[in-house]
Amino acid sequence: MKFLISLAFKNLTRYKRRTLITAGAIAVGLMMYIFIDSMLMGAEIESVRNLKWFETASARILNDEYWENRFQKPMDLNISSPDKIIKTLDDNGITATKRMVFSGDLILNAEDFGEDGNLAATVTAIDPTRDFDVFNFGTTLVDGRFLEPGEDAVLLGSWFAEDIGAEVGYWITVVTRGNGGFYEAMDLEIVGILNCPNPNVNRQLLMMPISTADEYLAMEGAVTEINVSLPENADVNMEVERIQGMLNGDNLTVMSWEAMAVDYLALAEAKRGGTSMILFLIFIIAAVGISNTMLMAIFERIKELGMMRSLGMSNTKIRLAFMFEAAGIGVIGSVMGVVLGIFADMFIVNIGIDYGFLLRDMDIGYRLQAIFRGVWNPGTMVKAFFMGIIISIVVAYLPTKRALKMDIPSCLRHQ
Amino acid sequence: MIKVDNVVRNYHAGETVVKALRGVTLEITKGEFISIAGPSGSGKTTLLNLIGCIDQMDGGEISIKDEVISTMKKKEKTNFRRNNLGFIFQTYNLIPVLTAYENVAFVLSLLNLPEKEVKERTMAILKEVGLEGMEHRRPSRLSGGQQQRVAIARALVKNPEIILADEPTANLDSDTGREILELMKEMNEKHQTTFIFSTHDKMVMDYASRLVMLHDGQISSDERRK
Repeated sequence: MKFLISLAFKNLTRYKRRTLITAGAIAVGLMMYIFIDSMLMGAEIESVRNLKWFETASARILNDEYWENRFQKPMDLNISSPDKIIKTLDDNGITATKRMVFSGDLILNAEDFGEDGNLAATVTAIDPTRDFDVFNFGTTLVDGRFLEPGEDAVLLGSWFAEDIGAEVGYWITVVTRGNGGFYEAMDLEIVGILNCPNPNVNRQLLMMPISTADEYLAMEGAVTEINVSLPENADVNMEVERIQGMLNGDNLTVMSWEAMAVDYLALAEAKRGGTSMILFLIFIIAAVGISNTMLMAIFERIKELGMMRSLGMSNTKIRLAFMFEAAGIGVIGSVMGVVLGIFADMFIVNIGIDYGFLLRDMDIGYRLQAIFRGVWNPGTMVKAFFMGIIISIVVAYLPTKRALKMDIPSCLRHQ
Repeated sequence: MIKVDNVVRNYHAGETVVKALRGVTLEITKGEFISIAGPSGSGKTTLLNLIGCIDQMDGGEISIKDEVISTMKKKEKTNFRRNNLGFIFQTYNLIPVLTAYENVAFVLSLLNLPEKEVKERTMAILKEVGLEGMEHRRPSRLSGGQQQRVAIARALVKNPEIILADEPTANLDSDTGREILELMKEMNEKHQTTFIFSTHDKMVMDYASRLVMLHDGQISSDERRK
């Protein structure tokens, strides 16, 4: 065994160029694997964070029937006493904020926008005094100012503002139906532009103070939802059950962010499947490269192999010698691959790749607006290291087996 | 010691059948220094390969030390070669990454001998073939003659009863070839090892104590010299 290991090691140094090329192929494959894994894992983590920070919060209290009819945004399926619930939650150490979401027609006038026009919009009425305790809009203001309670004002998402050509100081009119079905038109001044990292929000964000909406729409204090913030490490499902217990059967239901983002989670799962496929293909390409070089390496030593066999070396030992050699190449390639992967990760973790040009007009499911940043994943690096060695051994096995099928005189005649 | 009885070997090249050996019968006794000679294509190497258990015959029987090798399975043949036979090749066939010492010791490592014994036997045989002081040289730093000496040491180190050498001097100049033959002869006499070597060189034939001539796969003459 000692001899076989020593022979394998010496052969590695004998064919330095081949060793380096093969190890390089493994290294590039592993680096890609580590890099892509880091980037996609980072995208997933950041998507979930952006989803909770800007879209769903950690959990949401809704009228029992609201979720089924959520696409109609029904004002009558509401929570009649939100402040009482928020107070109860506060008393139990849970931060919450009320919101009212309704749809309406957004009317743009020629005076500000150059030409008249209208489009459908979803308006989110927020409590400016508490909303930023649950959602993370606090750092997203790029122009103007935040909302004040009771004012006739709106905040727009930057992509939405860009799409309609809105600027701070412009006026818009929102026409909608109030509680009971009456029509109401609200003239609102754009007081600020927010650049939200969640593209789904940034594309359509239109926020106004909840007290203003309440007055215009005669909601009498009712809201469509109460959003809850939970600590990062909290067991969401357990907390949801706890909150549900505090509601005393008021025809209200509590939904976790996972339940609300079920579409996103299914998409992420599908993407993971797709990613595994990409990673598998990367490995296949690397494996073909290694297999090819190993095949060449073995075939240029057929005569040597014939000599070893005629001297009585068993096929098992010869196979083992080549496996050790392949494992050696695998170790070199894996070390190189992990080191390159660490460098690639340093870039993707600290700087990231700006996909803004792509994501601006395309929804790929991830809640990322522009920059894909990776995360460090030591588990993947360890996995990649061992996979590199295993693949090398596996792909060396077949050509060795093939070479050992040749009869000894043919091996000895081989040039 | 070696009985070759009516051995037939055919090769197939497409639809053509090449009859390499056509019923060769031969008996070799222990300690012989025998040359299998003949022109190219006469079947010398084929006969050597069959005696060396590295080829399959199509007919006849070969037995070595009363063991019928023609019916042995692959693994049995490998074990038999490992324990009983030594090989010397025309192109030396040394492992280029190993030193002279390692190339010789390699054969003993296959026999799972203790490290101390491997070392003692390897050093002794290298000294015997005149390579003392060159143990740590790799083949690339040895002359053709020296490389063939390493090959002879490799064949002898496990004390086999039979050594098969396929044109051992074909790649050497005549002076070096003569040196190698002298060495082989010396080892044959000293260790009583049976040497069977193929050649088509007249000078090499002259060294043999028995000369078996092959022609078109058949023995045309079998002459004992001394």
